[in-house]
Amino acid sequence: MIVVKDLVRQFKSGDRTIKPVNGVSFELEKGSLASIVGKSGSGKSTLLSLLGALDKPTSGDVVVDGVSLAGLPDGKLTEYRRRDIGFVFQQFNLIPNLSAVDNVMLPMEFAGVRKAARLQRAKELLEQVQLDPEKHSRRTNRLSGGEQQRVAIARALANEPKLILADEPTGNLDEQTGEHIIELLSSLSRDHNTTILVVTHDRSLAQKTERCFRLQQGRLTEEVRTGSRR
Amino acid sequence: MSVLARSVGNAFRNKIRTAAVVAVLAVAIGLALAMLVANQAVGAKVQELNASVGTTLTVNPAGGQGFEGGGEPLTTAEAETAASVANVTAVVGTKALRLQTSTGSTTGTTQQVGPGGGFGPGGQQATVSTNLTAAVDAGTLGNRNNASGSTGTTTQPARTLPITATGIGAEVDSTGKALDITSGTGLGDYSASEAKALVGTSLAEKNNLTVGSTFTIQDKTFTVAGIFDAGTTFGNNAVYVTLPEAQTLAETPDELSTMIVTVNSMENVDSTKNAVQDALGTTKADVTQGQRNLETAVSSLDSVKNISLIAFIAALATAGIIILLIMVMLVRERRREIGVLKAIGARNRTIGLQFVLESLVLVALGSVVGAVIASLASGGIASALIGSNTTTTAATTTQRGGGLAGAMPNGAVPGGGVPGGGFPGAGGQGGPFGGASQLLTSVTASVSPGVLAAGIAAVFAVAIIGALVPALLTARIRPIEVLRGE
Ligand SMILES: Nc1ncnc2c1ncn2[C@@H]1O[C@H](COP(=O)(O)OP(=O)(O)OP(=O)(O)O)[C@@H](O)[C@H]1O
Ligand SMILES: [Mg+2]
Repeated sequence: MIVVKDLVRQFKSGDRTIKPVNGVSFELEKGSLASIVGKSGSGKSTLLSLLGALDKPTSGDVVVDGVSLAGLPDGKLTEYRRRDIGFVFQQFNLIPNLSAVDNVMLPMEFAGVRKAARLQRAKELLEQVQLDPEKHSRRTNRLSGGEQQRVAIARALANEPKLILADEPTGNLDEQTGEHIIELLSSLSRDHNTTILVVTHDRSLAQKTERCFRLQQGRLTEEVRTGSRR
Repeated sequence: MSVLARSVGNAFRNKIRTAAVVAVLAVAIGLALAMLVANQAVGAKVQELNASVGTTLTVNPAGGQGFEGGGEPLTTAEAETAASVANVTAVVGTKALRLQTSTGSTTGTTQQVGPGGGFGPGGQQATVSTNLTAAVDAGTLGNRNNASGSTGTTTQPARTLPITATGIGAEVDSTGKALDITSGTGLGDYSASEAKALVGTSLAEKNNLTVGSTFTIQDKTFTVAGIFDAGTTFGNNAVYVTLPEAQTLAETPDELSTMIVTVNSMENVDSTKNAVQDALGTTKADVTQGQRNLETAVSSLDSVKNISLIAFIAALATAGIIILLIMVMLVRERRREIGVLKAIGARNRTIGLQFVLESLVLVALGSVVGAVIASLASGGIASALIGSNTTTTAATTTQRGGGLAGAMPNGAVPGGGVPGGGFPGAGGQGGPFGGASQLLTSVTASVSPGVLAAGIAAVFAVAIIGALVPALLTARIRPIEVLRGE
C-alpha cells in the first residue's frame, strides 16, 4: 500500500521556479495496476522519481507499507530501491558495455544473489520479455531501442520488487510486443500482488489499467471510468 | 559479472585512452622503481664501505711503519689495552715476515742478501727463508728497492723478490678487510700455532700450489689451507699464517707488527682514534685512520642516496596524481551511469570499490611496463649517479694532497715495488682510495625482487590513495542523475 501525501517538487530555472509536481496526493492498493497520463513535460517522470526514491521531494511524503521515505537515511533509501522498487527508465539506462544478461543480473548482484541463481533468473526474465536468446549475451549498446526497452523491463523485475515504476515501457515497441509486455505486467499484479504504476501516452494501455491518473499543472486527477474493464 | 570483472571491463572501455594512461603511468612508475633500485644499490654500497674500511684504525709502532722507521715493537699486551678502549669492537694483531727465496744452497745466503740484517727495515720484519718463488718479477723498482738492503755498490745478481708473509689474528688482510678466499677454507683458529697457510692467487699459480699442497718456510712444511684473492698484484704475492705461527717463525713471541682496531660505528672513529692513542701512549704507538678520504666518498654517496630517495617519492607522487586526475575525469564522464547503478540499488561502497579496482587495473598494467622500463634504465641511472659522484670525490682527494695516486687504479700503486706497501701508510694513502673507487664503480644496480616488490607495493598504496578521492566523489552523485540528458 502506497500513500502519497501532498507531494511537491520544484525546480529553479533562472529566476523562475517551476513545480511539475505541486501537491499530489493519492493512494495505491497493494497489487493494483495503475497508469499516469499527461502531456509531455507535465511532470510524470518527476513524480515517478519521487516515488522510486531517486529524488527527494521539496515537501510532502511517500509512505510505503507504513514507512515514510522522508524519514529514511540514504542507506535505507538505497535498500528500498534495491529491494522494493523496479524502475523502468524512459531512456532505458542500461550499462552500455555490459551484455543484456549482465545488465539484468546487476540488481541481483547488489542484492547478494548467488551467481548461478542470478544467471538462471536473468535468462528466464529475458525470455519472458521475448528477447531473442542469441541476443542475451550481446552488449546492450548493440541492441535496438525496443530490445533495450525489454532488457530494461527484465532488469526492473529482477529482484521481484513490490512496486514497479515504468516510464513509457511500451514506447518503442510494436503493437504486438507492447501487448505482450502489458500482459506480463498485469499478470505480475494479478499473480504476484505487485503494485504497478505505468506512465504512458498509449491510450489503449491506459484503458487496460485498473485506475488511470492524469497529471496536469502539477496536480493529479483520477479519470472516472465508465465501462467495465478486464 | 562481479565488481572486479566490471572494473577490468571498464578499464578497457576506451582502449586508446587506456593505452595512453598506461604509458604515462609506466614512465612514472618505471622512474620510481629505478630510483628505488638506485637508492638501494647506493645504500648497500655505503653500508659496505662503512663496514669494510670506514671503521678501522691501524696501529703501528711509534716511529715505524712497515719496513721503515724504528721504535719499540707492539706487544700482545698492548693489543689487550686497545681492546679495552670504549667503542672498540675488535683488535686484530698482525705479524709481518719477509720470505726470501732460498736459492737452494745455504740459508746463509739468504741472510746476506735480504735487507733484514739489522739494517733498514726498523727491525720490524724478520726475514725467513722459503721454497716459494715470488709471483712478481723484480723489474726496475724491485732491483732498486732491494739494492738498498745490501752494503756497497757491488754488482748483484738478478734477485728474486721477497714475499710478504703475515701472521693474522683473524680472517682479515693486513688492512683489516675480510679475506676473499676463492678456494679451500680459512685457517680455522687464528690464535693457534699451526702449519697451515693461505696463499694469494698469483703466488699459488707461480708455485703450482693448490689447496692441500705443501711448501716450506724456514724449513718447516706448511699446508695450503686456502687460496685468496686480494684483488691486486702485490696483494696476491703474499702468504697468511696464524699470528702465533708468524711470531714463532720470527722468534719474537708477543710482538706485533700492526694492530687493526675496529670501531663500532663511523661516528665514533675520530674519538676512538684519540682514545686508543691515549691508551697506548704517543711514544709507543702511532694510530692512523688510513681510510679517512673514504668519508668524503661516503658522504657524497649519501647525498646521492638522498637524491634518489626524493626522486623516488616524487615519481611515486606523480603516479598518484595521474591516477587521481584520470579517475576524477572518469567519474565525471560516468556520472549518469553511476546514477543508474545507484537507482537500481548499488551501495556507495560497491561503486567506490569498482572505481578503485579499475584504477588498480591501470596501475597494474603501468607497473608491469614500468618494471620493464626500470630494469632497463636503473643500471644506467645508478652508474650515472655514481659516476658523477666518483669524479667529485677524486677531485676532492687531489685537493687534500693525499692522492695523485688516488686517480690511479689500485693495482698500479704498490706494483712490484714499495716494500711493505701492503700496509696502510705510504702505499695506503692511495691504496684504500683506489679500492674505494673500484667499489664505487662496481655498484651494480641489479633489480632485486624484494626491492621491486616493495616499490610496487608502494605504487599500489599511492594508487589507492589517488583513487580514493574520486571513489568518494561517486558517493556524492545522486541517483536522480539518471534522468539527466546525456
Ligand atoms: N532537474 C531539473 N531542473 C529543472 N527543471 C527540470 C528538471 N527536471 C525536470 N525539469 C522540468 O520539469 C518538467 C517536468 O519534467 P518531466 O521529465 O517530469 O516531464 P514528463 O512528464 O516526464 O515529460 P515527457 O512525457 O516528455 O517525458 C519539465 O518542464 C522539465 O523541464
Ligand atoms: Mg518523462
